[in-house]
Amino acid sequence: MFKRLGIVGAGTMGASIAQLAALMNVEVLLYDINDTILRLALDRIKTDLRRRVQHGTLTAEQSSETLSRLHSRTSVSELSHCDFVLEAIVEDLRVKRDLFKHLDAHTKSTAVLATTSASLPVTAIAGLARYQERIVGMHFFNPVSGSKLVEIARGHKTGDSAVQTASEFALFLEKQPIVVKDTPGFVVNRTVHPFFSESLQIVEEGVAEPQQVDRIMKALGGYPVGPFEAMDADGTDAHLDAAKGLFAQFFGEPRFRPHPLQERMVEAGLLGKKTGRGFLAYDENTNDK
Amino acid sequence: MSKKTEKRTPAKKPRAALVVVAGESPMVEELAAVCQRHGYAVRAAINQNPSSRSTLPAVSLSSGGAILKSASVVIEVTNVAAEIKRTNLRRIDALLPSTAPILSSSVTVSATEQASWIQHKHRLVGMGFLPGLADVPLVEVAPTVFSPPATVEVVTRFLASLGKATEIVQDRVGLVFPRVICQMVNEAAFAIAEDVAGPRDIDEALKLALNHPRGPIEWAERVGLQQVLGVLTALQREHGGERYRIAPLLRQMSYAGEWWK
Repeated sequence: MFKRLGIVGAGTMGASIAQLAALMNVEVLLYDINDTILRLALDRIKTDLRRRVQHGTLTAEQSSETLSRLHSRTSVSELSHCDFVLEAIVEDLRVKRDLFKHLDAHTKSTAVLATTSASLPVTAIAGLARYQERIVGMHFFNPVSGSKLVEIARGHKTGDSAVQTASEFALFLEKQPIVVKDTPGFVVNRTVHPFFSESLQIVEEGVAEPQQVDRIMKALGGYPVGPFEAMDADGTDAHLDAAKGLFAQFFGEPRFRPHPLQERMVEAGLLGKKTGRGFLAYDENTNDK
Repeated sequence: MSKKTEKRTPAKKPRAALVVVAGESPMVEELAAVCQRHGYAVRAAINQNPSSRSTLPAVSLSSGGAILKSASVVIEVTNVAAEIKRTNLRRIDALLPSTAPILSSSVTVSATEQASWIQHKHRLVGMGFLPGLADVPLVEVAPTVFSPPATVEVVTRFLASLGKATEIVQDRVGLVFPRVICQMVNEAAFAIAEDVAGPRDIDEALKLALNHPRGPIEWAERVGLQQVLGVLTALQREHGGERYRIAPLLRQMSYAGEWWK
């Protein structure tokens, strides 16, 4: 069923899925509009496979076979014979709409086309295509190799068979598929939102400090990571962008209002771990990522 | 007010000091068990249910004057029925020696408001408590505008003697953990009502994607829907505004008793 997979976009998400599929005996055609990104992606995959061989979790033979199943492509038209095409390009609605219009016109009619977008509606992405019933969302989580879930987003016109195929593909990659309606934030980013938003509200009101909130949520709720640690790890800028996106897509629903505190943090360059300081301070000499 | 975790070695306590635990089931039973495990003598006063199947030695707040006079601390855990909480606290305050502190759950009514109901306002300190939390290693403690540092100190020492660290937070309904958890339940209820996904899928998604120990619906089941609604209603009352609008499905399901089955 999943003999030939096309992937458009060789950034972290696209390359990770390409590697995972190739490890599972799928022939993968990987395309990126930028040759440098494509080359870097293949280099990263090679490095990662080499590390696995060194660690003994993969044989040298498996590694070279995996690499032989990864084919870089320099034109999107070369994906026309794929059974399944995944899009993992920049989160820009116009660019994605144009891409799906093109893919729809240049792939065989039985192929399923999936977007990995986390923040844009599948329905909108599919909007310019003629056969929108075969366009479906597959929201993977980072890091792809370690995550266990894929949200299968059913757009307004997505057909049952595309949902079915995408779910089977997720299972094939050993991820649990969960079918969700095409609504802002799908399930995960929407229902986890209060974990962050309410914590920010609590700190803004002076009820408790970020460190306290983290300690309380971990000790009482058993959460592995507190909300402020998590925001710092993901980047306070990324969280602000996501919050703004959710708020806009819900047409200003007050529950999703971003917090002035988040914006101040970003303006101050306190972006989290990557800048050494966010809501919490990090020792620059520590190596944890 | 200092905001820090206080971890102490269990304080030396007098032989079988008496703790009275009053309020809603199952929180009374849960907390009484913790106190007993740590060597306290315990008397329980369970709201509206004096003949519960509980095997705990009971005390009546209206007629147990002699027992309350010998108690060294009272814990009051009524979250849902504010009127009963007020009655309980007034009875406790009238009988308990004025030097003994009252540790009262303040997730649906602020500790300061509760203190305003009683004569010896200085002795009441708020805390975050919901069913199923008796065994966690930390308690949120909310001093009121009336609490002198000495009362907070005594309460902190008492909690340390139960093996619990304390986190001092400002006195606002919901405190930290109940507020965040209940808002997650509320959002999950909106998502279910909008048919984004089913309740089990929502739990599963958060656990698989983010390693959450429990999904929001599992929290609601563990804590109890009435408690969740109590916290959300208090947040809405105190803050106003649409941010704390309660999902209609949540109320609907609370009438049905069970959520979605």
